[in-house]
Amino acid sequence: MIARREQQLTYLLLGVFSLIALVPVAGIVVTALQARGSAAGFGVPDGFNLENFATAWEEGNFADYLRSSVIVTVSVVALSTLLSILAGYAFGMMRFRGATVLFYLMLLGLMVPLEATIVPLYYDLRDLSLTDTYWALILPQVGASVAFGTFWMRAFFRSVPRSLVEAARLDGSSSWTTLWRVVLPLGRPAVLTMVALIFMWTWNEFLLALVMVSDEGLRTAPLGLAFFQGRNTTDYALLAAGSVIVATPVVVLYVFLQRHFIRGMLAGAVKG
Amino acid sequence: MSARAAPPGEPRRVAYLYLLPGLAVFAAFVLAPLLHTAWIALFEWDGVSAGEWVGLDNFGALVTEPELRSAFWHALVLLVFYAVLPVAIGLLLAAAMARTRVRGLTAFRTVLFLPQVIALVVVAVMWRMIYAPEGGLINEGLRAIGLGGLAQNWLGDFTLALPSVGLIATWVFYGLAMVLFTAGVQKIPPSLYDAARVDGAGPVREFFAVTLPGLRGEIAVALTLTTIAALRNFDIVYITTGGGPGDATTVPAFEVYERAFQSGRVGGAAAVGICLAAVIFALSLAINRFADRGLR
Amino acid sequence: MAAVTFRNVEKRFGSVEAVRDFSLEIADGSFMVLVGPSGSGKTTALRMLAGLEAVGAGTIAIGERVVNDVSPRERDVAMVFQDYALYPQMSVRDNFAFGLRRRKLARDVIERRVRRAADALELGELLDRRPRELSGGQQQRVALGRALVREPQVFLMDEPLSNLDAKLRVQTRGEIRRLQQEIETTTVYVTHDQVEAMTMGDRIAVMNAGRLEQVGTPEELYERPANLFVAAFIGSPAMSLVPVAGLPLELPGADAGAVLGVRPEHARLWEDGEGLLGPLEGEVAYVEALGRETFLGVDSGPRTRFVVSVAGRSPIRPGERVRFGLVADGLRLFAAASGRALGPLAGRR
Repeated sequence: MIARREQQLTYLLLGVFSLIALVPVAGIVVTALQARGSAAGFGVPDGFNLENFATAWEEGNFADYLRSSVIVTVSVVALSTLLSILAGYAFGMMRFRGATVLFYLMLLGLMVPLEATIVPLYYDLRDLSLTDTYWALILPQVGASVAFGTFWMRAFFRSVPRSLVEAARLDGSSSWTTLWRVVLPLGRPAVLTMVALIFMWTWNEFLLALVMVSDEGLRTAPLGLAFFQGRNTTDYALLAAGSVIVATPVVVLYVFLQRHFIRGMLAGAVKG
Repeated sequence: MSARAAPPGEPRRVAYLYLLPGLAVFAAFVLAPLLHTAWIALFEWDGVSAGEWVGLDNFGALVTEPELRSAFWHALVLLVFYAVLPVAIGLLLAAAMARTRVRGLTAFRTVLFLPQVIALVVVAVMWRMIYAPEGGLINEGLRAIGLGGLAQNWLGDFTLALPSVGLIATWVFYGLAMVLFTAGVQKIPPSLYDAARVDGAGPVREFFAVTLPGLRGEIAVALTLTTIAALRNFDIVYITTGGGPGDATTVPAFEVYERAFQSGRVGGAAAVGICLAAVIFALSLAINRFADRGLR
Repeated sequence: MAAVTFRNVEKRFGSVEAVRDFSLEIADGSFMVLVGPSGSGKTTALRMLAGLEAVGAGTIAIGERVVNDVSPRERDVAMVFQDYALYPQMSVRDNFAFGLRRRKLARDVIERRVRRAADALELGELLDRRPRELSGGQQQRVALGRALVREPQVFLMDEPLSNLDAKLRVQTRGEIRRLQQEIETTTVYVTHDQVEAMTMGDRIAVMNAGRLEQVGTPEELYERPANLFVAAFIGSPAMSLVPVAGLPLELPGADAGAVLGVRPEHARLWEDGEGLLGPLEGEVAYVEALGRETFLGVDSGPRTRFVVSVAGRSPIRPGERVRFGLVADGLRLFAAASGRALGPLAGRR
């Protein structure tokens, strides 16, 4: 039966490509557990050497790197979420002059790559003595995330039935109360997805950190890993351990919220 | 007689207050720098002393300077690995999956999408180890099965470096395409396939007549996301090859970094950045125009 | 408690005139129904009264106060929406209390009102449930309750029963009417269902294409429709409307082209009545047997169909020819061009 054959083919494809996706990841975890100094990159695991992680954590300074990443990422997520909710609310539920122009401006901003703005960002922030501070990492990323978040939240707010807002208005609710008590409680999935995506993008950001930060104490995790690699090109086990440390937070978040991550990406298909 | 357009009590001017904080940060850290970049691009500047007006020379260099030309050429090549290959792989799966019921799809999707959430720096470190000439998974694997003669210095070879970097990107992005397309394929009404079959269409014909058009939106999204990622490629190149060997794997984003922060050619860097933004914008528009037209 | 006055109200959406020159007086404490087909402007008029749409031209007054520029909150009106618009994440109790809390009422006052509304609507057991846990009928009552607790000057209802099944609709109709008579609050009720209008309203305002066609008591609309539209809209089965020309009847006051209107109960089989005008003859096009009475659709000429009523069941089948007559008192005449009523019919044959 043709259907049977197609089904087998489908499972085969899914299986093979899933494996290909997993093998490097599994391999790096295995490598992190090897004894240090072994020459093989992805050799047969010869032990369960969890101390590699401890070494990376302390000697490799990954504790500091993670702390920086947490500070920056949490700040960006918190600020972006708040600002995006406010702006998305205005765009999605209020009528005002200039709405279309401003919205298209933000849409444009969504497509602006960091590479196009990094140059003046660095030099201007340097003039303001803000380079080598967390602000240099937080503010530009909030700016970019707000473009995405506003767009995302606007879509949610537009999906709320108008009669609900009208009922609240008749009940004497101000726009502020309506936002936080009536409408936003409906938007937990949307907000959660937005938080997940912004967290991922911010945590994984490299170029901005590379340019803005030279003080080792402020390095975020990806930047820390890059420097770590520079110092330990052949110590594969240690390098792998560092990599795992850097990637784990987002992966953990992903495992718990994978539905939201994927929904976020798929929703782009509806818009696109 | 009320001549006001808005019903009384409907929030109007207060909207600006809601917008202000987000818009302010956005304008200050995205829009203003964009304009500023365009301005800087008109100067030759080393980042320290005063800059010198050169008008459109930096933009001209984009076409004339061989380093920049090859950087953009490499970006184009990488587009194949970032966008074309993943989309092709995704379509392959979509074609197979078109009329079948798949169980456990969620589990597969979780795994396939995983490469997307890992920081590119980590991905690059990972693959650098895989590609390592001694001790790397590929070469050791080849040697283990007696094909040691095929072992290469993947990232260090002038011809192989760029494709090797490209394949990393393919690994990162094929899952995205697969997830997008499997979701899209499930939305295609089975009656379309039945109609095609009744018309005597074989699997190939079905793919082109039903599956492909049905996935237009998803293909557009996949192409847009991967194209932008391809043009922005920095992390992977920085970690794996640093642009080398020689100039074999330079990319525009890397040129921006190198010129602005290492060789004191800030104006030139700005010009490259502007050009990148323009290309991204144009390609996004073109891809979506294509998709819309098809949908009509 | 307040009267409501619309004075020459107009509203335009883009190029569409939703409401034209609308003037209406609603007495304090009365139950006014705005009825009409979709697009008639009834909902727009209601929403302007609520303050959800801006008034284009004219004035709306609640009591003595012109409220054109007054926000909905300040107007002290409460509304029941067609889709109920219940706050999904709040319990029934909180749905009731929300508006009261916005107005900073004392906690015990709120408690008291919530309890009273819950009892009146038999929702006492459900106060802590969320809307999605309730049936459609229960949700509808919560929507009513939310308006009740506000104790407003005016109740507004926008087709609140259209999402209920037929039986529940009839039942709830009665309950709403009873409640309103108890609390004596001015109520404006919008519906497209003329049966609902006729059974519920103290007075009915028939609207069509943005215009007020006629306002009056159910009896007035039924007995003395002001024009063809009202005549055809009110009453079920609809009034038979037939060109006068070609009828074998002498109808003083009818000029050429006038239209005769006669309700089914005033058209009887020739054998069944005395003193009937006629006889008219025609072929039965359809038979509607309702048990208690039977309606026959009889074609007595081109574009001339009468609905004739027969008490009880009738053996008559479609295709048969029958003779029937009209009750003189039940005849209405309308001008062809304007559709306006031409006054009661004088004389008989």
